Amino acid sequence: MSNPFLTPPAKPGHGIIHLALLPPSTPRLRTASYQYPLKLVSPSPTRLEDETRCLVHTIYILTYGGGLVAGDSIDLTVTLEHTTRLILLTQGSTKLFKSPSRELVSKQRITVNLAPESALCYLSDPVQPFEHSCFEQSQIYNVTVPSFSAEHTASLCVLDWVSSGRPANGENWSFRHYGSRNEIYLCFPDGKHRLLLRDNIMLDDQHLEGSITDRMHGLAVFGTLVLYGPLCKALGQFFVDEFKALPRLGGRKWDSGSESGDEEADAAMIKRFARHRQGTIDGVLWSAVPLRGCVVVKFGAPTLEGARRWVRDMLLHEGSVVKNFGERALLCLR
Amino acid sequence: MSTALNLHALLLLSDSALPLGSFAFSSGLESYLAHTKSSSSNKHFPAATTNSSKAAAFEVFLEQSISNVASTAIPYLLNAYHHPSYENLGALDNDFDASTPCTVARRASITQGRALLMVWERALRPTSQSQSADSGGRKASEALSTFATALKISKPDAHGLGLNGHFAPLFGLVCRALGLSEAEASYVFLLSHSKTVLSAAVRASVLGPYQSQAILAGTKLQGWLKGYVAREGRDEGCMRGGVEEAAVTIPVMDLWMGRHELLYSRIFNS
Repeated sequence: MSNPFLTPPAKPGHGIIHLALLPPSTPRLRTASYQYPLKLVSPSPTRLEDETRCLVHTIYILTYGGGLVAGDSIDLTVTLEHTTRLILLTQGSTKLFKSPSRELVSKQRITVNLAPESALCYLSDPVQPFEHSCFEQSQIYNVTVPSFSAEHTASLCVLDWVSSGRPANGENWSFRHYGSRNEIYLCFPDGKHRLLLRDNIMLDDQHLEGSITDRMHGLAVFGTLVLYGPLCKALGQFFVDEFKALPRLGGRKWDSGSESGDEEADAAMIKRFARHRQGTIDGVLWSAVPLRGCVVVKFGAPTLEGARRWVRDMLLHEGSVVKNFGERALLCLR
Repeated sequence: MSTALNLHALLLLSDSALPLGSFAFSSGLESYLAHTKSSSSNKHFPAATTNSSKAAAFEVFLEQSISNVASTAIPYLLNAYHHPSYENLGALDNDFDASTPCTVARRASITQGRALLMVWERALRPTSQSQSADSGGRKASEALSTFATALKISKPDAHGLGLNGHFAPLFGLVCRALGLSEAEASYVFLLSHSKTVLSAAVRASVLGPYQSQAILAGTKLQGWLKGYVAREGRDEGCMRGGVEEAAVTIPVMDLWMGRHELLYSRIFNS
């Protein structure tokens, strides 16, 4: 039994979010406590307009100054009880300010414990590392596997992306160190854990001879979208199908002549071609991989706006994020 | 373990004729070339047209490819090498599978891993059993045999997870069973990878055979290999031998590898 009079965490940068389920089926934000430099803001929950009438909570993760100063450390623990749904948002990109030395690393750790049938949508703004910054973050998702069935697991729709810094200031992947880790663990009823997915990126200016800019090959943003669970199944399948339908590289572009007329038969195809054309203009490179019950979408683009537009268009077109979490879930992609 | 036996094992494993089917893979090179070649129509990628700029662009790719393989695979190789047991091999196999979110890379790793297991069972095991003196080598040999048997009957569970047979941890165990040192194991792994990419470059007509051999023999490549072996070896001694620290250092590599599927025509498997 958890303590209803939970004392706020005393350590700087620590935060706790606990979304509880009041019987029979009312989700309620039991705890949202935080310490400087972390701040959590929770607007009133929204009710979905579909037949489930599900109540979806939203929390903005903010930091004073809009980012992390060298040496800041954020440690957020999120607990979602059975069938609850949470949207995590940021307000603008997370800025990483310069660090005086390589030893002084800013850190952010988010641990999410998801009970069966709960759902998390975390479509944040990108992380924006400034020149000479040092930063590491980890997002750990502990998914409890229900004992009765492997199908009623939690659902996850999480985006982790990083930009090249402030291009207007001449920054182009000019930081010292950036590391980001996303891990999903399956937690079995007998207490055992198993790693389901790990996505770990490490960019360090001392790792190779060339600069980090050389390693990014003209991309200004790189991101990973992870989809897992029953609520994100259709969305994952959509990405996989769209990836398969991309025009072949080095083949003739038969779809360029839209005057032929026969495409009019299929509105979905026309939209797909329009997306392909926009994606080509924006230079978006992406791939979608179904593995181990998840779908991992990796993308990169030469402009931040191009990447943002692409992600938003894909999610809006498929529609299940808005359907399952409401319009608010996509706020950071506007 | 005498040096003569050691040398023999080293030569066996570094031989490009070791039947792992490595020649079928280009580790993203073919896709990288397609992405940079089409750049006349794509303003975001600079075109490499002349022969010398082609070779220079290839060297950049080669270094990045080696770096990425070193940072993603060597921690698994070393962990398997230092903790030779069937249980640990199973855990490493699961974790490596979880950490490779790229269809093409997984396919390449599993194909080569299973081929290595086959070579082990049919050719290397009897030799290692008659020669291996230290207990670690014997344990590695037992772990490999148990894993080979288990892999044959493995079926995916309710979550679709089963044994896969990924290349890096198996390679570490084979090296252990054959009495190679830790540094030799990492070095020969990265050298074989370099050879694979170089040979793919020759067949994709990026380089001539002498150019390729010059890169292979050159001090630059040796410097990279030594540097990355040292970089990955340094973590040894922490809890799981650094497996959790295995990371992608060239994120774009995953995109090129993943988009290999989109090539209109292809000569390689990855």
